[in-house]
Amino acid sequence: MSWEFKLVAGPYESPLDGPCWDGQGLLFTQVMMPAAARENRILRYDPATGETTDFRYYTHRVMGLALSSTGTLYGCQSTSRRVIRFDADGSAWPMAHKVDGEYHNEPRDLIVDRKQRIWFSDPHAPLPGSRPQFASRVPYASILRIEAPANRDSPVQRMTFDTNAPSALTLSKDEKTLYVSENSTQPEGKRELRAYPVRADATLGVCSVLASFGSDAQGIHPGIRGMCLDRNGNIVACAGGSENGPGPMIYVFSPKGRVLGTCLVPHGEPTNCAFGDADLGTLYVTTSDGRLYRGQGATAAAHR
Amino acid sequence: MIAEAFQPAFWDLVAKEVSISRVSTGYVFTEGIMWHSQKRYLVWTDIIGDKILKWTPGVGTSLLMGPAGHPDGTFIDRQGRLVVAGWGSRNVWRLEDDGSTTVLATHFEGVKLNTPNDIVVKSDDSIYFTDPSNGIRHPGHQDGDIQKYLDYEGVYRLDPATRKLTLLVKGGVNPNGLCFSPDESLLYINSQRLGCIHVYDVKPDGTIANERLFAELVGTDPGGPDGMKCDVHGNVWCTGPGGVWAVDPKGNALGRIRVPEHTANFTWGGDDMKTMFFATRKTIYAATLNTAGIPLP
Repeated sequence: MSWEFKLVAGPYESPLDGPCWDGQGLLFTQVMMPAAARENRILRYDPATGETTDFRYYTHRVMGLALSSTGTLYGCQSTSRRVIRFDADGSAWPMAHKVDGEYHNEPRDLIVDRKQRIWFSDPHAPLPGSRPQFASRVPYASILRIEAPANRDSPVQRMTFDTNAPSALTLSKDEKTLYVSENSTQPEGKRELRAYPVRADATLGVCSVLASFGSDAQGIHPGIRGMCLDRNGNIVACAGGSENGPGPMIYVFSPKGRVLGTCLVPHGEPTNCAFGDADLGTLYVTTSDGRLYRGQGATAAAHR
Repeated sequence: MIAEAFQPAFWDLVAKEVSISRVSTGYVFTEGIMWHSQKRYLVWTDIIGDKILKWTPGVGTSLLMGPAGHPDGTFIDRQGRLVVAGWGSRNVWRLEDDGSTTVLATHFEGVKLNTPNDIVVKSDDSIYFTDPSNGIRHPGHQDGDIQKYLDYEGVYRLDPATRKLTLLVKGGVNPNGLCFSPDESLLYINSQRLGCIHVYDVKPDGTIANERLFAELVGTDPGGPDGMKCDVHGNVWCTGPGGVWAVDPKGNALGRIRVPEHTANFTWGGDDMKTMFFATRKTIYAATLNTAGIPLP
């Protein structure tokens, strides 16, 4: 399994993330803009014209993006500690932001299920938050779920109780399995691809560890930063680091955790990926060094 | 000792043995503190608690309004009404005597304001306010639209008759507190991020000119330029590291009053206008000074 990657946007001055196909174009985020620029932004690559345009300014550290089945765009505004909704008129709105009565942490990645509930990872981010911060972080780092995003006072449920550094997440097509990347930067922490059964009562069952990433005397082997599913339900994941270990690459895991293939990106470390184009057959990959790649040639494609 | 002199002249303003007492506590982030001279009460905002409170000597504290759009700075106009920098509501508004509210400004040239932070009313009823954007980014400060639209953080003058806004300062960095000199010939504007106060000449048409650096308030203690007011002698008092600093009209820092909590704003009050009330994170404190503030309205 391999893709032929072509650089279609960038290189920009800072890491890219949040690739999200909007039906006709590929949205992605530039998280850290240079000083005096317009404070982070969302860009949009249009494969029909090959052009990349600014989609939204002043997004202030929005990491993951997700589009709901009804066409609503959401983003994880990391250091503002909230999931926000981007409306077509240019406005942006904060979602419910308290779990167990407290402000949640810094959201990283998200997905919207068919009931329009927002599942998101809520790690403790390495970047300092917008100051002054009046609320301490919650004493855990979990997958959380906003039950009714249209309601500003929606309950936010804590879904995982065994995560310490949740990063990427995605749902299987039948929404009966939640895939989570636990991606600790600590040597003693875990870096695992996990599959949690979504139970009928909408809680999560005990997870299966599909893959794990280790460490050595040089340091940790970075785990999965971003992932999506292909048409066959396989997990396409961006993992690995340049410093040591197997190296940065795209992995394709079967739902059971078998490695079906790996693929290198031409430059940098892949940060996140999403399928796009009319047939959802093209894999878009963002990188740590500000590049957006468009990968074609592999047979598998996304279901959503 | 809570008073700390940098220059001996500070002891003309504050007694060495000055002490501080607690007025009211139990808030999240108090701001916008003002003394209503006619009605003889203290008013302040709790930005995150999302309310406006009132304290009457001998009576105590009561809720004046809440929720209140996460209000920040306030001022009292000549009619005795509270005008409010709507930090979370992204506007400038006025609380009327009957308890209703009047929105005075929401946009500049059709573009939504950032997060109005602090506000003063000149004796001709024109309203001056700062509009930094950091309120948009803080969790819990906003319930509505959190998109930033303006490419700058401005300082504005609102014309009392037409309610038209004039952009006075466009290139500012995080403008925060502002106040006039007693004769209204000067306007002081501070920047929390830069840790300094700039001063401008006020022109007859109400616009300002001749920006120059007035003072830098530098230190390792928590706090920085935020709330700012002149005393009757024209000394500029401004929150800074460790509490509230006094700066003489030439820009020399004279000393500071150390406040037990991070202080965002303050006001003079009481019948002789010599009690300074401090708005900190959780608590309102008071201390009696030798120098008086300018009564309002």
